[in-house]
Amino acid sequence: MKVTEFMTTKIESIEAERMVYDAIERMVDRRIRSLLVVFPGDAKNAGVITARDVVFRVLAQDKNPQAVKIADIASRPIICIDKETTLDKAVSLMEAKGIARVFICDREAIIGVLSMLDVMAGVLILRARGEQGA
Amino acid sequence: MLKQLFVGARREQAVIEEIKKHIVLLCSACEKFEHALREGDRNLMRLVPEMEREGDAIRRRIISLIYEGAFLPYLRPNLCRFVEVVDAVFDLLQETAQHYLNITLPEQLLGESARVAHLNHRMCEMLLYTFETTMEGRDLREKALAVRIYEKKIDDIKVGILKDARKIPIASFWEGESLSQFLSGLTNISNVIEDATDSLQIINVSMR
Repeated sequence: MKVTEFMTTKIESIEAERMVYDAIERMVDRRIRSLLVVFPGDAKNAGVITARDVVFRVLAQDKNPQAVKIADIASRPIICIDKETTLDKAVSLMEAKGIARVFICDREAIIGVLSMLDVMAGVLILRARGEQGA
Repeated sequence: MLKQLFVGARREQAVIEEIKKHIVLLCSACEKFEHALREGDRNLMRLVPEMEREGDAIRRRIISLIYEGAFLPYLRPNLCRFVEVVDAVFDLLQETAQHYLNITLPEQLLGESARVAHLNHRMCEMLLYTFETTMEGRDLREKALAVRIYEKKIDDIKVGILKDARKIPIASFWEGESLSQFLSGLTNISNVIEDATDSLQIINVSMR
C-alpha cells in the first residue's frame, strides 16, 4: 500500500523568521505536533519544527520562546519521499534516520506528511486486511 | 461460528452467499464511483444507480430467504438489520452519484473528494473481510479498529473539504445545494459503513 493512502494532506506551515511562541500558539490552536517551516527562497529549502524541538531546545533550557526564532531550532532539510513509496519502505526510512515524520512529495511539491500515528494506523489496517506488512 | 451451527443447512448457506454478493457489489459500486470521480467520467458514474437497483434485488432475495426459515428466529432481526444497513450505504452512494451528475465539481475539491471515495472503497472491502470473519466465528476486534481508523481519517479530511468549500463562489441556490448534498453524502458514506460493522459486532456477540 502506498503512503498516500495514510498521509495527512493538510500541512500547516510557518515562516522561519517568526518566533517560537508563534509556533507554539499555532500548534496549540490546531492541535498538531509539528509545523513545516518556510525559509525564504526555494520551496524545497524547508524545515520542520516539532513540539519536541520546542520542549527540549527552548522550554527545558529556560529560554524565552518569544525571543527565539523558529529558524534557530528548526530541523532541516526535511526528509521527502515520493508519493509512490510503499508504507513499509517509508517505515524503514523513518527507522534508519530516527525520525518521527516524513514528507510526501509529488515532484517538487510537498503534498502530505506521514507521521508515526499515520504509520500505526496503516500497519493496523494492513493487519486487518491480512496483509501484515511494515 | 454461524457456519459451525448450520453446517449443511442449504438455506443458511444461500443467505451467506447472497450477503457476500451484496457486499461485493457494493465494493464494486464504490470503486466505480471513485474512478468516475477521478476521471470526471459521467457515464461511469451513471452505472452506480444501476448497481444500486441490482443491490435492491439482492436485498429482497436475502430477506425472503431469511423469513422462509433460514437461521434461528432470534438471529433473523439482526441479520435483516445488517442487510438493511448495507442497503442504506447503497442508497447514499446512489444519491451522492446523482448529486455529482448535477454539478461540476470544483477543481480545488477534486483531490480530497477522490481520497474520500478511495477510503470509502477500502472501508467496503474491510466490511467484506469483517463479514467473512464473522462467518468464521473469529474475533472482529482488529477489523472493527481498522474501520474506525478509516472513519476517523475521512472525518479529518471532511473538515478540510468543508473549509475549502466555503471559499468557492456559488452562482445559484441549486448549484450550492447540490454541491453541499454531494459533499455531505460523500463524507457520510463511511458513517453508514461503520454502522454496518457495528451490526456485525452484535451478530458476532449474539452467537457466543
